[in-house]
Amino acid sequence: MGQEKGYLALVLHAHLPFIKHPEYPDFLEEDWFYEAMVETYLPLLNVFENLTDEGVDFRLTMSVTPPLCNMMSDPLLIERFRHYLNQRVELSEKELQRTHGTDFAPVAKMYYDKFRRLKDLFENKYHSHVLEGFKKFQDMGKLEIITCGATHGYLPLMVHKESVNAQVKIAANDYRIRFGRSPRGIWLGECAYNPGDDKFLRDEGIRFFFMESHGILHGTPRPKYGIYAPVYCPKTGVAAFARDMESAQQVWSAESGYPGDARYREFYRDLGYDLDYDYIKPYLHSDGVRRNIGMKYCKITGKVPLNQKAPYYPDEARSVAAEHAGNFMFNRQKQIEYLATLMDRKPLVVSMYDAELYGHWWYEGIDFLEFLFKKIYYDQKDIKLITPMEYLEMYPVNQTVQPSMSSWGDKGYHDVWLNSGNDWIYRHLIKSAERMRDLANAHPHAGGLLGRTLNQMARELVLMQSSDWAFLMTTGTAKEYSTKRTKDHVQRFNELYEQIKHNRINEAYVYDLECRDSIFQEIDYNVYSSAAKDKVLNQYK
Amino acid sequence: MEKHLSSTAFQPVRPAAPQDSADLPTGYGTTESYLLPKDPAWMFLFWEIIPATFDYVRAQYGQETLNRSRTIIRLYDITGVDYFDGNNAHIFYDMPVMLDAKSWYVHAPQSGRSYIADLGFLTPEGQFILLTRTNVTSLPPGKVSDIIDDQWMCVEGDFIKLLELSGAAHIGLGASERMHVIDQRWRLTELAGALRAPSSAMSSWSSFALHTAPAPQEDEDIWLKADCEIIVYGSASRNAIVSINGKEIQLQDGRFSFRQALPSGAVLDLPIKATNKKGDKQRQVHIKALREQGK
Repeated sequence: MGQEKGYLALVLHAHLPFIKHPEYPDFLEEDWFYEAMVETYLPLLNVFENLTDEGVDFRLTMSVTPPLCNMMSDPLLIERFRHYLNQRVELSEKELQRTHGTDFAPVAKMYYDKFRRLKDLFENKYHSHVLEGFKKFQDMGKLEIITCGATHGYLPLMVHKESVNAQVKIAANDYRIRFGRSPRGIWLGECAYNPGDDKFLRDEGIRFFFMESHGILHGTPRPKYGIYAPVYCPKTGVAAFARDMESAQQVWSAESGYPGDARYREFYRDLGYDLDYDYIKPYLHSDGVRRNIGMKYCKITGKVPLNQKAPYYPDEARSVAAEHAGNFMFNRQKQIEYLATLMDRKPLVVSMYDAELYGHWWYEGIDFLEFLFKKIYYDQKDIKLITPMEYLEMYPVNQTVQPSMSSWGDKGYHDVWLNSGNDWIYRHLIKSAERMRDLANAHPHAGGLLGRTLNQMARELVLMQSSDWAFLMTTGTAKEYSTKRTKDHVQRFNELYEQIKHNRINEAYVYDLECRDSIFQEIDYNVYSSAAKDKVLNQYK
Repeated sequence: MEKHLSSTAFQPVRPAAPQDSADLPTGYGTTESYLLPKDPAWMFLFWEIIPATFDYVRAQYGQETLNRSRTIIRLYDITGVDYFDGNNAHIFYDMPVMLDAKSWYVHAPQSGRSYIADLGFLTPEGQFILLTRTNVTSLPPGKVSDIIDDQWMCVEGDFIKLLELSGAAHIGLGASERMHVIDQRWRLTELAGALRAPSSAMSSWSSFALHTAPAPQEDEDIWLKADCEIIVYGSASRNAIVSINGKEIQLQDGRFSFRQALPSGAVLDLPIKATNKKGDKQRQVHIKALREQGK
């Protein structure tokens, strides 16, 4: 232990639902993945590369969820992403000429440099497999990659615990394939925790998870340190870390948060709408409709209409990001200094964010992180970055508290994923989970076509269980797509169920689904057996 | 009525999977029910009761008895009970229910307890006839525990300060801003000009969250906060177009429900209209609710 007064654990949650549509040459919702690659995932890796080149030591905990790992490794999506990136390189090159001598020349140059750098990283450094990059920094000890439920499933609403067990086991298995070791931590989808589910985590050797603050504050008995130290779950000893609201607000708050600074990039002014139609058309989707293409040339400016936004100056914005990073660090120093007077150990502040906030929504968020890492390393000695495992090694004795059921959704529980707009899905999700369990019990270790069919049913089940669909139905955005995805996976599951039940498995149909819903190539439906669940629970009887 | 997905505008290279276009089943042909937790005060109950189950109780008790009976949810508090045999609950609560509703939001009398629910008939003589029983659901306490760990004692004043710093007064509040930001993010990827589907759930978000722990204030020795939401539910012919207050509402398996905050002093006027596909037949139900101005 050094002279620092306390610790900061930065945690980023990188996740997208599994979206892949081989049946269309061009599919709108796949853009979510390509955008996040260009705006968040590759730029983050670029930051890690820069820090490492400069010799700056840093620590970051980051989930890369199993659906995202599967998309990052999927040959079709990789090819389509390569095309997406090349198009941006091409357009940004044209833009250098078009904007030459104008106020927009600096921002055009910024995109040109950025896209070329990302292309170089993607193709030459990581050989089209960005997971290579993440793995590299994990192996160096800078990055702790944690897993998530197989498809970001909402565990407290799963009545059949076989499904909870399967979400954890499928995820842990996928993690081992991607990263060559077992996961030590997990991000529970939507931070939704149900007391007792930690038994399934423990069985996979998972040592910690994250919660919303009241998960620990409302725990039993009272948590001595509030949320500024982890607690152990009873019986399992899995550690729960909770989110610090003060640091969360500084970034998230729509009113006072950093991302609203007038000198930052304006999200809503996009070249997809601004440029001459014939000039921009080759970079739009094949239907030719104007949409955002991710290149934006204006700054927020102030409360003015979109057509009165001023040109964006990258150098100016970068210096604001540096200022904000300094402010964030200063606030953590003060916070930790004060907490230390109330505690008989060094406090830990856990700052958790969606990864896609950085870069995609808050464009300069990536620069902010780079500055923050550097400032913490060079400019002060009060606080130190840490990972949960490092903290647990330093403080192996922690209070045992049963955390409360909770989530990080609006109102703190399950409202967002269970309300009058989406409650109809649970009838189908729960029935499918029950049928999967019964089939796994009835046909242990089936091979051949039956085995393939059961494995595909397991894929359809985990896909329908993605919490993203219920979330999108509630927010009202992409409601049709999320409704369709839920229905499709239930239909496909039911059809396979009927085919098995009536002994008329149609191989062509199974094969078709294997190509479409190709997540988790290595899935083994036997994880859904009651025996697999009982094996876990019986350890605690 | 079903609008086409934005992305299907593109030419598919392979047809959709053959079963994708069908509607989801309205039931699975088994009598069963499930109880899900929603928050410290609410649970979601859904069920399916097949005709054979009604036939069975009719044969046992007679149609006449059923005619005289009310259909109810019987909610049992079984906290700490290892095996529930139907008779060993701490207490139970009865509430009337329309079995055709197929699902119901059940208010929990107490947070932090475990519940199980039965659906059945209650005869005027007080006999309960069971149709289906749910799983057990345990609800979160929704407050700071009174139990103090003697191994991990702390100075009371320091604990209160840590609690405040930990954000005890803001539970669940920060999340809505996050939600807003993510909502924006998804929205941007949607087709330009695509209509944003109305979300009945949104209307209730403004209401005060009952479980939010108030910051301790020394000058107040008693406090009370209460708020109100109403749930309008019902069912209609499967192909009917149903609107509430002029806004079309999506039917799921022929059912609908709509939740809305009812602030103090508000008058809610909700004409509900069902129109057949041709548009030549209509049914109407008019619901009005008034919440008197609270003090």
